[in-house]
Amino acid sequence: MKHVMNSLLFAVLLIALTACGSGGSEQQSEASDGAVELTLWTDWTEDRPENTAYKQTIEKFNQEHEDIKVTIEAIPHDQYETKLRTQAAGKQLPDMFRVWPGARLEPLAKGGATLPLDPIMDTWKDVIPESALKAYQYDGTQYAIPANISLTSLIYYRKDMVADAGFETFPKTYDELKALITALNDAGTTPIALGNKSIWPLQSVYISTIADRFTGSDFLPNVLSGEGTFENPLFVDSLAVIDEMTKLNAFNSDLNTIDESQARGKFIAGDTAMHFAGSWAIGPILDSIEDLDNIGVAPFPSFAGGEGDPSAIAGSAGGAIALSSQLEGEKQEAAFTFMKYFYSDPLYQELVKANIVVPVEVEVGDDVPAVYQEANALMQGGITPVYDATLSPELTDLINNGLQSITLGDMTPEELAKKMQEANESAQE
Amino acid sequence: MHNSMKRSWFIVLGLLPALLVYTVFAILPILQSFYYSLMEWDGFSDMVFVGLDNFKELFQDELFWNSMKNNVLVVLASVLGQVPIALFIALLLNRKLKGLKFFRTIGFLPVVLSTVVISITWGLMYNFEDGLFNVFLRTVGLDALAQNWLGDTTWSMPSVLVTVIWQFIGLYLVIFMAALQNIPEEVLEAARMDGANEWTTTWKITLPMIWDTVIVAVILCISGSLKTFDLLYVMTNGGPAHSTEVMALYMFNQTFGQFQYGYGSAISVLIFAFSLLLIFVVTRLLGKKML
Repeated sequence: MKHVMNSLLFAVLLIALTACGSGGSEQQSEASDGAVELTLWTDWTEDRPENTAYKQTIEKFNQEHEDIKVTIEAIPHDQYETKLRTQAAGKQLPDMFRVWPGARLEPLAKGGATLPLDPIMDTWKDVIPESALKAYQYDGTQYAIPANISLTSLIYYRKDMVADAGFETFPKTYDELKALITALNDAGTTPIALGNKSIWPLQSVYISTIADRFTGSDFLPNVLSGEGTFENPLFVDSLAVIDEMTKLNAFNSDLNTIDESQARGKFIAGDTAMHFAGSWAIGPILDSIEDLDNIGVAPFPSFAGGEGDPSAIAGSAGGAIALSSQLEGEKQEAAFTFMKYFYSDPLYQELVKANIVVPVEVEVGDDVPAVYQEANALMQGGITPVYDATLSPELTDLINNGLQSITLGDMTPEELAKKMQEANESAQE
Repeated sequence: MHNSMKRSWFIVLGLLPALLVYTVFAILPILQSFYYSLMEWDGFSDMVFVGLDNFKELFQDELFWNSMKNNVLVVLASVLGQVPIALFIALLLNRKLKGLKFFRTIGFLPVVLSTVVISITWGLMYNFEDGLFNVFLRTVGLDALAQNWLGDTTWSMPSVLVTVIWQFIGLYLVIFMAALQNIPEEVLEAARMDGANEWTTTWKITLPMIWDTVIVAVILCISGSLKTFDLLYVMTNGGPAHSTEVMALYMFNQTFGQFQYGYGSAISVLIFAFSLLLIFVVTRLLGKKML
């Protein structure tokens, strides 16, 4: 019975989906008042300041360009990528679509689904730094332009709790951080709120930066091309940091059963002294904490013996839109016009107002909260690759689950490094 | 003769739309899965035919066997937990009780609650720091018994199984009660006249008379457990460290998390084969030819 119901539901869904699909292509072909119509797929379904900024900019574009009309179709985030890939496989992509960087853009660029932006790249010359653009390049060609920078490794802390534990300034080195953790534990305060049920935070937030501090930024590309190995002692040392922190009781004891936002909730409620998270936490923290002067943002500490740049933080460029390689003539022109308009100062200023870190230099007014300004300043040290934006899905899954196993004492850092290397080698065969 | 011919044609005609829908949306996708399982495919680039490589890899995949082991545990917990408990309660409730409706509603409630709600609620109750169970244990002074229920690989699976059993008792309870109410009163009365006590009536008359229903319940139970996905997806997402991962969850993660459509299809094919085998064995054991 349930099965039949499922099939029926599926049938209805399918009909709805195909109906949407054909609706979209009709819109493309018939230009109502002579204007060129462009369809854009996004995942801007949530009501967030960032999404509003994007949508408003597009609205303004439509008003100022009578001959071009951009229509947005929003798809919920979790289904977006599956749908995009399926449509790409059927060569039925819309004119423009939201993409993610690195390993996630690669199959689309490799498969020839996206249009190179070479003809208009001068627009962003000396405006957007190469380190941010690089995320959307494949084989040296640019396929999309980033709107924001998502830093994945920031330390938010409560100044009063850190001071009560005897630290006037936030620790700069790992040894000092360990001393802080011990002092907080002695005082009966949970040091760090961590929610690793969804298994990516330890990798994205912690290891992306910690490993870079140890190994330097050349490590990942080298390993993936077969020149280096995950069994490099420096990488193993970085994994061992997680092991050591767990054994020091740095985290809340339910770390593996709550998710990221629940952990943030603990920090916001004042249950813990620190929370390690990315720039995505700025908004919620600004919204929910009244005593903002008490909240500080610090970069990750430095590690003795590390080869990486101790001032850089892991991050990746986001908010990018790519164009379909099927665009030609008038439509291609229109799409290029749109890209030049969209990725320019007004959008970046709106984003800054929404407390989003952007890849370009924008004049920041005094009314911008200190927490945001501090986070924004930390980006100036440069950004290093985020692991899950660089590794293959298989390796990402391995390290995500492996780090969880380390916190449970089921696996040692050496075993995880060995497993990752084995998977890496078999993928290269 | 003429009349019955006409009627059977009419039946075929009437069944046709349903059959068509069923073929397109159930049979074809299954066949497609078989096809994809022979391919290496990321869902986007061109498919590469790899023959039985996916299956070879699957047989050596520890994580798959781990998920199958967990799945078998779910099946066992469901068949040995849900069905007997539901039957027991149904037998208790099958008398002229005051407030019968009330108990039936209470029992059935978990079935109509959204699984997501159940998962989140139980997840909160199992929380190590401020969950109901641990708070209770600590309040009565049994601190030593407080566990990190879902966060510890030893306890995660048993904890999840308790929720699984709890969730579906109500469904079988209602099925059994319906069957019990279909037993003719005369039969039971005759037994009583012959001097049979409660115990004997239950064992010798009631149970044999609803045995068919019990078998159907067991089969529903097995097929439901093999498909189990949503509860675990929300409650633990298979974690920590794969300790509560079941086959459907593993298939989902491989297919849509790692974009290995071919490998994921191979897992579905094995789930399909495994389900068929298990149900075949069970129907044989329980002495009914349902297939």
